[in-house]
Amino acid sequence: MRLKKFLMAACLVALPVLGASVADAQGTLRIGMTAADIPLTNGQPDQGFEGNRFTGIPLFDSLTMWDLSAADKPSVVIPGLATEWAVDANDKTRWVFRLRRGVKFHDGSDFNADAVVWNVRKVLDREAPHYDPRQVGVTATRMPTLRRAEKIDDYTVALFTAEPDSLLPINLTNLFMASPTQWERLRAANPTAEATWNAFAREPSGTGPFRMTRFVPRERAEYARNDAYWTDKAKLDRIVILPIPEANARTAALLSNQVDWIEAPAPDAIPQLRQRGMVITSNAQPHVWPWQPCFAENSPLRDVRVRRAINLGIDREGLKTLLGGMMSVPVGTVPRGHPWFGNPSFNIRTDKAEARRLLAEAGYTPQRPLTLKVQISASGSGQMQPLPMNEFLQQDLKGIGVNVEFDVVEWNTLFANWRQGCTHAAARGAHATNVSFAAMDPFFAMVRFWDSKMAPPVSNNWGFFNDPRFDAMIAEARNAFEPAARDAALARLHAAGVDEALFIWIAHDVSPRAMSPRVRGYVQPQSWFVDLRLPYIQ
Amino acid sequence: MFFYLIRRIAYGIPIALAVGFVCFMLVQIAPGDPINAIVPPDAPGDVVEQVRRDYGLDKPLPVQFGLWLLKVVQGDLGRSLASGRPVWSDLSSAIGNTLMLATCASLLGFILGCLLGGLAGTFRGSWIDRAAVTLAVGGVSVPHYWLGMVMVVIFSVQLNWLPAMGAGPGGSADWAWDWEHIKHLVLPTVTLCVIPMGIVTRTVRGIVAEIMNQEFVTALRGKGLTRGGVFLHVVKNAAPTALAVMGLQLGYLMGGSILVETVFSWPGTGLLLNNAIFQRDLPVLQGTILVLAMFFVILNLLVDLMQTALDPRIKRG
Amino acid sequence: MANSATTPSAAEAELAVQARQAAESSTGYWAGVWKRVRRDPVTIFCASILLLMLLAIVFAPLIAPHDPYQGSMLRRLRAIGTPNYVLGTDELGRDMLTRLLYGGRLSWFMGITPVALAFVIGTVLGVLAGYTGGKTNMAIMRVTDVFYAFPSVLLAVAISGALGAGIMNAILALTLVFIPPIIRVAETVTTGVRNLDFVDAARASGANAFTIVRVHVLGNVLGPIFVYATSLISVSMILASGLSFLGLGTKPPEPEWGLMLNTLRTAIYVQPWVAVLPGACIFITSICFNLVSDGLRQAMDVKG
Repeated sequence: MRLKKFLMAACLVALPVLGASVADAQGTLRIGMTAADIPLTNGQPDQGFEGNRFTGIPLFDSLTMWDLSAADKPSVVIPGLATEWAVDANDKTRWVFRLRRGVKFHDGSDFNADAVVWNVRKVLDREAPHYDPRQVGVTATRMPTLRRAEKIDDYTVALFTAEPDSLLPINLTNLFMASPTQWERLRAANPTAEATWNAFAREPSGTGPFRMTRFVPRERAEYARNDAYWTDKAKLDRIVILPIPEANARTAALLSNQVDWIEAPAPDAIPQLRQRGMVITSNAQPHVWPWQPCFAENSPLRDVRVRRAINLGIDREGLKTLLGGMMSVPVGTVPRGHPWFGNPSFNIRTDKAEARRLLAEAGYTPQRPLTLKVQISASGSGQMQPLPMNEFLQQDLKGIGVNVEFDVVEWNTLFANWRQGCTHAAARGAHATNVSFAAMDPFFAMVRFWDSKMAPPVSNNWGFFNDPRFDAMIAEARNAFEPAARDAALARLHAAGVDEALFIWIAHDVSPRAMSPRVRGYVQPQSWFVDLRLPYIQ
Repeated sequence: MFFYLIRRIAYGIPIALAVGFVCFMLVQIAPGDPINAIVPPDAPGDVVEQVRRDYGLDKPLPVQFGLWLLKVVQGDLGRSLASGRPVWSDLSSAIGNTLMLATCASLLGFILGCLLGGLAGTFRGSWIDRAAVTLAVGGVSVPHYWLGMVMVVIFSVQLNWLPAMGAGPGGSADWAWDWEHIKHLVLPTVTLCVIPMGIVTRTVRGIVAEIMNQEFVTALRGKGLTRGGVFLHVVKNAAPTALAVMGLQLGYLMGGSILVETVFSWPGTGLLLNNAIFQRDLPVLQGTILVLAMFFVILNLLVDLMQTALDPRIKRG
Repeated sequence: MANSATTPSAAEAELAVQARQAAESSTGYWAGVWKRVRRDPVTIFCASILLLMLLAIVFAPLIAPHDPYQGSMLRRLRAIGTPNYVLGTDELGRDMLTRLLYGGRLSWFMGITPVALAFVIGTVLGVLAGYTGGKTNMAIMRVTDVFYAFPSVLLAVAISGALGAGIMNAILALTLVFIPPIIRVAETVTTGVRNLDFVDAARASGANAFTIVRVHVLGNVLGPIFVYATSLISVSMILASGLSFLGLGTKPPEPEWGLMLNTLRTAIYVQPWVAVLPGACIFITSICFNLVSDGLRQAMDVKG
């Protein structure tokens, strides 16, 4: 059944590709990213999902991948380097993955079961010679139940989880397959494993649709099409990615034809960009831009009344105006109508009177106002426009008598602090953190925040939320290997989370991009990611 | 001269050591445990302790300084926390870019400054003088990050004449002196040159005016010396000071280009420093400051020696 | 940034001469200086602008038409000349005139405080070094040399970068930047005055060192050092707002010119004139301080 689904998906991808390839379109696409440095190219990118988008998916493949071919339907998981998979009926912690045959890494070596085991060990086996602590942070948190891999035969592997986990195939989209052969070759010339990984980052080898041809730290990375790709090849000849963290500089670079495509143009520049013939694209995204509360002893956000009050005190429509319409208004982690939305009784909306009442009930008055400290970033992947947005919120909340202070840190720091938890010194006493996140799979959307076992340093339960009721609901969802039952369990979980106001939900990103009219064939899927095989330059 | 050279260099060594000490202390004054400057925040506890021992961070401060110095002398500035690469690998390419930008800016500033200052000094009190002085004061008073922004809006966005950011179509790694690359250099250079321009103008104006007022110049002129002769005389007397001022300016621009590099995304030490500050990447911060300060120390020494060599009036004690 | 002002080598000699002139001449010297300043229209004009600005920012709560923190998304980024919002509104719909008035408070504070602190500390150390000479001089001046080995911007960025963002850290960093040049100037002028006849006479008459310094030395060196310090204010303001521009100084939503310039950057496509206003304020203030300081220096130079 999975195979059939894949074939259908493959046809959907193939049809438009075949049509366009007749035109033999090609060219070089230059992309201005929001990151301050090139995300790591060693196979497990940093810099959030912008890293996966630009130095993960184009260079590497994973066992399971996202279908990024269509703009008008939710992006789903499809087979990647694995053709099919199933959980062991007798042991729900053992999964069997069948691997695609005939796939080669950029260095010419074969992709096989040994490579999968090697790539699992690089982040999970401390005894492995190629274990890389630097990659653990961005990888292990995204697949917290995965424990180890075992080769069954050359094209079959077994993966083991710590507990039954129906979400594993979705998590595995984050484990990119790097070439063991390339690494071993570089190991000979480098003194330590760490140095070897640095060398590998300069000369990465994956199975992706592009291979890296040039790497100038902090300035640019260049890719060329992988002509030996195992499925539909890219149309572009070359891609150049450039880190341009400052929104104005990105806009200016696009307007002066230094790049063809920029991520997150400054909203105020959008009219000017349109006027100059640039194309602005956006699409609904499984994304949440929240303040994630701290539930520790001295945090005022421990009190559900305060969390609800803040949720009610925010004028999200006003924020949308600030962003030139480039956001959607959240009513929870997922939108209404989503299979996981459920039936929450708490309605997220703007109601300042009710907010004031709740605050007063919680003991905060104009004489004894509530002061919140929030750790935020200045820019970053999925962070939208953090400074003006937060400043807007600060001003808005003043209206209900809440003083907000900010601790502005760099995005990578904010992201790293996320796994330290709100009681760690790195949080500097913040009551909330402003890490925005992807909500495309249930683990990312809910489990990692609301499961008490996901408290730092394991994963992103930054606020140390701990409620056995939620743990039970999560266990139930993880054990539901039937999709319908799993969705129902997740809907109950989501509704409970909204009722407890476990986040201050502020915005969903619509991922605005601006590009030159010369970029054709581009599809913006309902995802954080983009299939860079599709666009071409005219 | 030789002994002076030796003495001057000998004097530079304790200064260089002390500069090193200040850079070493930067990490010590930073809030939090200095170990955080070496290991990534998500490193496991036993790794942290291992590194603490390896780096000698459990030893007293002077010993730590010695160990650190030993590494620095061997060219080991540590590893970036953000990228994991050795600090020196990123720094070496960034220094080249900043040196190029700072050299161009101080050259342009020097030429403009000499021109304006010379004119102003010659025609002291005239409208030319006033215009030149106004430009000079404007040059040292303008917040140049703001000037850079304004120039980007005018020349890149509105007129589309010059690129707004970066160091050329291939990045700084394949820089070439052709127009495709040079046009990336224009806006940052012009933005950065206003300060040396202002300073050189003031200096040259002062010297020229003074020389022109000196009795022997008046006398020479009376004797019918040509304009060219007077000009030569002025140049000979003004050159050492003007060159010294410019040499120091080069050093200041090397260290001070952080704001301009940020505005233009110029891949130099300033941008590196800016990112390091935001990522709290203390090894990069420390390494960059150290190298720039050392550059400045050496430049000071060279300027001093050059001035001594050029100007016979300075006694070499 | 205008580093020149922190390079006192050329200025030192000039100031030493002035100090000696001041010391040698009677009270008529300062009267003469004042008379010359009064006759200099540029200096008077700039000083008036600065005075007006100072009054405006001191009385900001009285004259500001709106609340500096309260904005509205409905009226964001209005153009200059909008009724009721003379200088337009910023990216959060707050009145620009109000923000600039309040912003001036922090910008001036962050510009002047480091120079004032450095003036006090630097003068004490410099006079001490200059008057006592010998080992004390050696110790103070060699430490000063070390800080001289850093370009001023770099030193400011290094210290506040290591300490982290914040107004106090920025002020601390800038104070450290300005102490060494003031020490040098103070040391030079003090050395110049120390060997004058009347100081020798006072010493011979048995006056203790403290009295000599207080009566004879300080009275004569403070003026020139003060004038030198005023020339640093312009640099200090540009540096301080530069730190805020980099995110190392003030934090939002505090109005401060450098930070306002930073947050208005993205509005440069919509309301370029509004977006450049804070920069223009920094520019005007800095140029006025420079010209006033120049005027003072010229007026003190008897030759000129």
